[in-house]
Amino acid sequence: MGAAEPEAAPMAVRTRWDIGFGLLTMALSLLALFVWFPNDIVGGFIEVSAIGRTVPGDAFFPVILAVGIFLLGALQAVLATSRAMAGRPTPARTLTFSNVRFVAALVAIVLGGLTLMVWLGPLTVDALNTVEVLEGSYRNFSDTAPYKYIGFVVGGFSMTVALIVFTEGRLRRASVVAIITVLAGAILIFDILLKNVLLPPN
Amino acid sequence: MQDVFTTSDGAFDIVPIAMVFAGLMTGIAVGATPGLNGPFAMALSLPVLIWVFGVSDDALLPILGFLIGIMKGATVGGAVPAILFNTPGTPDAYLTTLDGHPMALKGEGKKALKVAHFSSVCGDTVSDIALFITAPVLAIMIERALDLPEKAALIILSLAFMAAVAGREPLKGLTVGLFGMLVALVGSTLSGNGPRMTMGVAELGAGLPLTSAILGILIIGEVFAGIEEAARRRLTGGGVMKAPEDRDTTLTWAERRRLLPRIFTSAGIGTAIGALPGIGTTLAATLGYDTARRLSKTPERFGTGEPEGVAATEAANSAVSGANLIPVMSLGIPGNFAAVFIILAVESVGDFTLGPQVFRFTEIREVPGFGMIMNSDLVVAFGVFTLMVLANIFNWTVGGVFLRSLAILVRIPKSVMLPIVLLICITAVYAQDGGMIAVWVMLGFGLIGYVLRQLEISILPFVIGFLLAPQLEQLIRGGFTASGGDPFYLIKSPIAVTFLVLAVLLLIFGNPSRRKSKA
Repeated sequence: MGAAEPEAAPMAVRTRWDIGFGLLTMALSLLALFVWFPNDIVGGFIEVSAIGRTVPGDAFFPVILAVGIFLLGALQAVLATSRAMAGRPTPARTLTFSNVRFVAALVAIVLGGLTLMVWLGPLTVDALNTVEVLEGSYRNFSDTAPYKYIGFVVGGFSMTVALIVFTEGRLRRASVVAIITVLAGAILIFDILLKNVLLPPN
Repeated sequence: MQDVFTTSDGAFDIVPIAMVFAGLMTGIAVGATPGLNGPFAMALSLPVLIWVFGVSDDALLPILGFLIGIMKGATVGGAVPAILFNTPGTPDAYLTTLDGHPMALKGEGKKALKVAHFSSVCGDTVSDIALFITAPVLAIMIERALDLPEKAALIILSLAFMAAVAGREPLKGLTVGLFGMLVALVGSTLSGNGPRMTMGVAELGAGLPLTSAILGILIIGEVFAGIEEAARRRLTGGGVMKAPEDRDTTLTWAERRRLLPRIFTSAGIGTAIGALPGIGTTLAATLGYDTARRLSKTPERFGTGEPEGVAATEAANSAVSGANLIPVMSLGIPGNFAAVFIILAVESVGDFTLGPQVFRFTEIREVPGFGMIMNSDLVVAFGVFTLMVLANIFNWTVGGVFLRSLAILVRIPKSVMLPIVLLICITAVYAQDGGMIAVWVMLGFGLIGYVLRQLEISILPFVIGFLLAPQLEQLIRGGFTASGGDPFYLIKSPIAVTFLVLAVLLLIFGNPSRRKSKA
């Protein structure tokens, strides 16, 4: 992540994005109309009821929406093309390489944290089973401290610390105290005070 | 009032009132904290409130009371960082910095906060009064004049309006609005055919988890964008900001009286803008500030620490919040992010439904063995109005003192706050919507929200589409069936045609950036 301002894309790139937005929505709506809906909606567009009345089927509204999106996409593509041909500036913003890099880093950090959150508890119980300290699967210990907290605390702490370091470029003691306070507060509220509510991943 | 503010054994129920107070204080604190805002706090509170109070009818007023308190408090609290540290948390708070921070630099920080609080509460009160009068009248008119096709056309008009005014590109706004509607249908069931459009994911058979989806697109998208911005600018903030020392802290009644004309002008502007869905507080604050400068005898003093500038901005943006509930209460259509969470609470708790049917003034009569019979929705609606009045009273009396004690919160850096908000959201939706599927849905919608923000496409049409899709489908299917399968039934009603033509005209001519580019 650089320290610079987000770069403004050149006009030609913005025009391509503008046209691309229209073409993408057209393609997605066609995909929905001809692949998704036929395979995923049992009812038809219009049906005749048992008493002979014409009634809308399960696909009625989704098809109307998909056709609407297709038409708007086509209009967007046509208008963007005509704007480009007339040499008028397009107001479209684009995603930059810097945005994509940020999303990749963010996804990696969040997925890493969630993986720890989901798997650390079961893996710990498995490991303790192997050395015969515990007997039984994680399911048997998912309401027993400390096993029920391990994933949430370690996963949540790692994810939050990683995001703060990613953002600030450093980690201060105050930030660590803030995260620990929030984790303790979440355990207090979600696990101790509220009944019938479980912390992830239990 | 029956069943409102009374417990099952007939005693007075203090809980809704206590929740309004707690919500207001929370909202003021949240507004004063960088990186947080009203919708953030409403999103995080809703699951906890539902666990505490449940989803019965009795839970509705305490939950709504807390959310309304946050909504009102956060608007006021936003003035603290803007005035003391020149760090506006929202675009409309930027206008508060123009005169508020110069006042703080002159040693009048507390006085500026008093001006902001006084103006904000005045603006809020004016817009609440407008809400109490306008919402029932509008709802009655709609119920009398509109049938299924007209109501369907009205929703389409609302979506077009939102797309036209809320973003730079109306066409893309409308496209994502329809996309939001399509996504809302995933997992929905209409007939004996079972759930639709689940893409083979069994967990989606009950539909997409509503809270996770809304929280994802509104809050997580903003968290992602905020983390990126903070990383880019290395906005650490903590320990470097110091509030200037105060010399003049008094705001006399004579000074308050002198501010009143500006406050009421701005409150009128804010109320009018707030009543229209999707326009938001920034335009209200800009117009309020600009109008006050034009009306002032000393316009050259604006921007140098003029209390009238602070008053005009704060009155205008606070007036938006109450008026924004006009389309919510009378049509069931949310006009801003805070209103989305009010609707979400109503959909999650009890049998009460927002919309024109709420204000049916049916005959009140006593039935032996059943007690008084009347439209229970109406009772709840006026219960909500009462809670709003109470929130204003609390704000008038203790809100200002609490507001001025919160300068310490401004020192919490956004770069720490945003990752913590993400962690709390993950925990909240996991418990609220039942498991990791809710977390994945929230993060997926968060990415959609992030991309839409980066492309400067308004998120509001997507959210409105997502929330209103079931209602629009019901209206369109009902109208089609009632017409005997006439494909042109929607354009056979003059009112519906008028709404649809207005929608098209709005998309072509209603966009502010289009007008600006032509100017």
